[in-house]
Amino acid sequence: MTDVTLKINGETRSASVPPETTLLKMLRENFNLTGAKLGCDIGDCGACTVIIDGKSVNSCLMLAGQVDGREVLTIEGLATPDHLHPIQKTFEDCASLQCGFCGPGVIMSAKALLDDNPNPSVVEIRDALAGNLCRCTGYTKMIQAVQEASKVMRSDTVRRLAKTNG
Amino acid sequence: MKKRGRGIACMWYPIGFTVAANPSAAVVKVNEDGTATLLTGTVETGQGSLTVLGQIVAEELGIATDDVHVVSADTDTTPMDTGAIASRTTYVTGNASRLAAEKAKEILFQVAAPMLGVKPEQLEARDRKIQVKNYPQRSIGIGEVANQAQFVMGQPALGSASFNPPTVALDPATGQGKPFATYVYATQIADVDVDDETGEVEVLRIVAAHDCGTAINPMLVEGQIEGGISMGVGFALQEEMLFDKNGKQLNPNLTNYIMPTSLDMPEIEVDIVKNFDPTGPFGAKGVGEPTAVPTAAAIMNAIYDAVGARVYSLPATPERVLAAIKAARAKKLPKPKRKETQKRIAAH
Repeated sequence: MTDVTLKINGETRSASVPPETTLLKMLRENFNLTGAKLGCDIGDCGACTVIIDGKSVNSCLMLAGQVDGREVLTIEGLATPDHLHPIQKTFEDCASLQCGFCGPGVIMSAKALLDDNPNPSVVEIRDALAGNLCRCTGYTKMIQAVQEASKVMRSDTVRRLAKTNG
Repeated sequence: MKKRGRGIACMWYPIGFTVAANPSAAVVKVNEDGTATLLTGTVETGQGSLTVLGQIVAEELGIATDDVHVVSADTDTTPMDTGAIASRTTYVTGNASRLAAEKAKEILFQVAAPMLGVKPEQLEARDRKIQVKNYPQRSIGIGEVANQAQFVMGQPALGSASFNPPTVALDPATGQGKPFATYVYATQIADVDVDDETGEVEVLRIVAAHDCGTAINPMLVEGQIEGGISMGVGFALQEEMLFDKNGKQLNPNLTNYIMPTSLDMPEIEVDIVKNFDPTGPFGAKGVGEPTAVPTAAAIMNAIYDAVGARVYSLPATPERVLAAIKAARAKKLPKPKRKETQKRIAAH
């Protein structure tokens, strides 16, 4: 067994898992975080995307042991009981998802993009979402939602800075 | 060199089954708090059909979409539905839902008429009220009417209805008949770049004009069209199931069955054509499958416009497009004239 201690959505958690356990399997089965989806299990579809130390990764391609001591953000870590994350809100407002299976992965890829590049071009958004397959939507309304979220998040940042600067 | 081309393709598509029975049924109950409950057997798969059915019931009862509680796809409680297939849900299940709501509304009108001192046919359901037509100040809240219906009149405000699209079987001798109750129409235009040295095709933009009758929820209609176009782009350029001679699939996973990603998608412009079908719920028809029908044809026509080559086998992979370009060029080369050939032979 491999002992893993990591920070998930800001909370320190531990598990003891067989060494071949993927991060995705540990998230879903040990921690009951089922937002990251098991799609292809070979890194093609992106439905299992989570953010590790600021980078979006396919959690089906990482072993649980590899994230020992690291920080993982999953879709469950975005919203508070009162507020959706701006990306989740704009995905809702733009009707960006249909069946929704790819949704958590797409939103995590968008989050990693916007954290790194607050004002991405359409090409940069397309590039960031290219690892997340969607059979329903044609991606069009997702790209719109990421553009909208980038506006909302930038104006939120401006407001926050204005507040702290008095 | 990259060559630009534009192609256009049109289609019609039927809603519902070909002649065969494909009924839907619905039950609508108006509750004493002014909300309504819809029981339907149809399945939500992300296309938004339950939202649309809720909107249809809300419109019929003059209440808000949020006031309609939709219970779906539970064989313990809901009527059987033929299915979320044949682009039929909005039209067929929508008609059944509207008819069921209309029946519940008729009971509300009968109950409200003596309360307002008018005849039932002078009433309308609007703004969560049953009111006298043209006299909105003479009204009673829909919940109060439902309460009166239940507890005073002993006639609960319920309606159930079914709808099966009217068709006429095809005559085996003449082929004549009316196979479907209604049809939708669409045109898509594709702009592409074709590299005539590599055969690579890039779809730059697709403009899609679709008739779906009344678009009950335009945002969902757009979503269906954009999704259909992505399937059409995959069908045109990328997606192919490959089999070996024993029938075993060679590309059974997403590593080698190549479907469109966000980088493969063109810019899409959707135009919802204004239309009204008197046989549909509030004029609506359908939009699901037809969205993917004309895309590949428009792209193939655009390839022809760009490089003068016809591709007859999908997907139009770079290899196939390049082969078609070479074949088109070979056809264009002037054939040696017979006399000249004979002269040359004679000279030898």
